[in-house]
Amino acid sequence: MTFPLDSGRDCVRAWDLMPWVLQDSAPQEQAQWLQDHLAHCASCRAEYAQQSRLRQAMSLPSDIPLDANIGLGRLLARLDTPEARDWRLRARSGNWLTRALVAAVLIQALAIGALGAKLWSAGGVSLYRTLSQEPAPAAAATIRVVPDAAMTLADWNALLHRLQLQVVGGPNDVGAYAVAPTSPASTTLQALQQLRATRGIRLAEPVNSAP
Amino acid sequence: MNDADIDADVTDRMLLQRMAAGDRIALGVLYRGYHGRLCRFLSRLTRRPDVIEEVINDCFWIAWQKAGNFHGDSRVSTWLMGIAYRCGLKALRQHGDEPVEDDNLPEQRSADHDQDEDRELRDWLGKGLDRLSADQRAVIELVYGVGHTLDEVAVIMQCPVGTVKARLFHARVKLRNLLPALAGEPSKQKENLP
Repeated sequence: MTFPLDSGRDCVRAWDLMPWVLQDSAPQEQAQWLQDHLAHCASCRAEYAQQSRLRQAMSLPSDIPLDANIGLGRLLARLDTPEARDWRLRARSGNWLTRALVAAVLIQALAIGALGAKLWSAGGVSLYRTLSQEPAPAAAATIRVVPDAAMTLADWNALLHRLQLQVVGGPNDVGAYAVAPTSPASTTLQALQQLRATRGIRLAEPVNSAP
Repeated sequence: MNDADIDADVTDRMLLQRMAAGDRIALGVLYRGYHGRLCRFLSRLTRRPDVIEEVINDCFWIAWQKAGNFHGDSRVSTWLMGIAYRCGLKALRQHGDEPVEDDNLPEQRSADHDQDEDRELRDWLGKGLDRLSADQRAVIELVYGVGHTLDEVAVIMQCPVGTVKARLFHARVKLRNLLPALAGEPSKQKENLP
């Protein structure tokens, strides 16, 4: 963008100020500065005179021969059409609809927040494990058991379930399984005694005991 | 904004509140108060007298429907002029920009009512505005005719203040080069262009 006058910075400033001084919206000191500049700059004086004439011409009332009362009558008739009434009703109901939607979103946000707080306070222990998570470390074996070869898988499983034990290793070369309690309530000693009393168990020894 | 503008805006806001409650008398007062201003603004924008009343009524139809949604972020006059501008642009797209030569149109009031000096001014201005784009004519009208600030014009035209400044600058440069010649003076300004 280039300035049309081959003048200095003051003339550029004068050019910028002219419309706002003409419409009385420029601060008093700017208006005064412009008048001082015009007093000694013939080029800007001519420009200002033309701008004043432009404003005068732009301020003339419209020469379009339109009667406001006739136009208003047509507008009022238009407001009575079903289209206009529906539009206004829609505008009002739309307003209520918007408010209702906003209220619903707020309620949902509050509910999600409350649910999040509840889950947070529950300790963050989830009931599921994702494939990307590290597997939980296996419990340390407390008993080494050798079931009889004739013992069925169903009997073996029922026994483990009854004694709250789980297999954490084995069987090894001699058919021994390493088992551990599934619940802290069950003690190794009790489980050991029950295993030894069970038919079909050839050997039950605590893991840490000396052979 | 001077005291008169503030008072006018307070009155306009009250009228809008009454319109929101369905008061058609308030609509009539606002309509008559803005009719001349909108008529002149739209005549700069569209140059189609045959569609100006339609656009004014579109503008007030929207104002009637949305009076309750006016939150007072700007002056009522700025809000209304913005609606009129968008309605005017829509009319431009539908009807085009070129003035119509229609013998059925009523004779322009200037022929009967204007004094010679006013008629001369209108003629001088009309020839200059013919060389501007619709947006440039709208900016010139809003600044020189209605007296809006740059910020208000930006709100009305829904564009950045920088865009308004650019439109105003180019419009002024064009008019500066055209208007003296139209008044019978030699155009000296072109010689001064860098």
